[in-house]
Amino acid sequence: MASYQADQLKEQGNAAFRNGEYLEAEALYTQAVQKYSRNPLIYTNRANVRLKLQQWDGVVNDCSKSIEITGANAQNHKAWYFLAQGQLGLHHPNEALTSALTAYDQVLHPQPSAKISPKDLETFSAFVLKCKKAKFSARDLERLRRQGDLRAELETMLETQRQRDLDEVTTQLRRSQLGNIEASERSQEISTTLDDKIASLRTVFAAADSANHKAREVPDYVIDMITFEPMHDPVMTKNGHSYERATIYEHLKRSPTDPLTRDPLTIRDLRPNFGLRAACEAFWDSGASEWIADWS
Amino acid sequence: MAGMSGKRLQKELAKIQGVLPPGISLVSAEDLREWQMDLIVPDNPIYPPDEEYRLRFHFSANYPIEAPEVVFMLLSNPERKIPMHPHIYSNGIICLDLLDKQGWSPVHNVESVCISIQSMLASNTKAERPPGDAEFVRSNRSRPRDINFLYHDPTV
Repeated sequence: MASYQADQLKEQGNAAFRNGEYLEAEALYTQAVQKYSRNPLIYTNRANVRLKLQQWDGVVNDCSKSIEITGANAQNHKAWYFLAQGQLGLHHPNEALTSALTAYDQVLHPQPSAKISPKDLETFSAFVLKCKKAKFSARDLERLRRQGDLRAELETMLETQRQRDLDEVTTQLRRSQLGNIEASERSQEISTTLDDKIASLRTVFAAADSANHKAREVPDYVIDMITFEPMHDPVMTKNGHSYERATIYEHLKRSPTDPLTRDPLTIRDLRPNFGLRAACEAFWDSGASEWIADWS
Repeated sequence: MAGMSGKRLQKELAKIQGVLPPGISLVSAEDLREWQMDLIVPDNPIYPPDEEYRLRFHFSANYPIEAPEVVFMLLSNPERKIPMHPHIYSNGIICLDLLDKQGWSPVHNVESVCISIQSMLASNTKAERPPGDAEFVRSNRSRPRDINFLYHDPTV
């Protein structure tokens, strides 16, 4: 009985979410879990709302709860994906990467009855890349900071400012001083302004002190020929060329042909390229004293 | 995936602002989704060496998985005409297999498309419009990507 009432409340929460009424949705999901606390989907849904509200701690708690209920090895790719986003929001890129890889893996090798969206592999693959960039950017920054590097110090200060400004928007939203759309626009504006400032800062430092702040070239073999982004799960075709798995899957959906030769090609013809994958990993690890200019 | 086209177009733009093949130049790409390129055709008496042709590229969110829409533009200031070619309609629509759903590959890019079009013009010997050009231009309402051209003239 209680679980039925909880489902009703969950449905109402879903409707509110679709209408963009995030605070309302959150409240409904909260009522739902109070009625019945063992439905992992309610926690996942509430985590999704909390992502919109940029309530990163809440997201992590809800996803962890959902995963605890289903079991860490069971199919729960949405929870892992939301968890990764929450962890990234909290500036824990290492954990975010682990979560993102789990979500990606679960979508690549789903349980028989799993409900996967056609866009999930592509979305999760792109998010893995985002986490990798964040992880190595944070690691470089930390190393520079320990060396007393001024640029690192300034970037850290700007990031703190960003979080303060975003928290302010969330507070105003909770106090109904701002509408959902306005809050979302403000947050977007804050982040974009901050990203521009950091980009300018890096340009200035690179110009002033090129030896220490020189951008490093990304080797061609690490780059996917279609997206021009570095790869994390490369797969190889019969003629020896490799592509990011999610990218070539998307291409094959529209045109089951080899991108270079136009010979017929299907997913079954693809093979993982472990050697190249190791080379890509090594590229990420070799950060050393350089950072990459166009990470954005 | 909006993310895919954005990143890829940014990188193409950065590369294109470096070095371009002779006769091809970037006019504008202010809005990443729509670019304009100018093209000159070398060594072909049909096309005067100083006459420039304007190409408009339009990219969907699924570029490069989906082909861009590429058409010639007719302008008066600066003056840009539509080049005469049996596969180019007088409204600027281009009949080229690599711009088609079947012929497109995501490893192509703006530069390679420009080179292909330039080469298609450079090797042309007939200064004429496609058969049925007037009718097509008058009645066509489809976007170039939805038109199924039949490529039955491999000599051009």
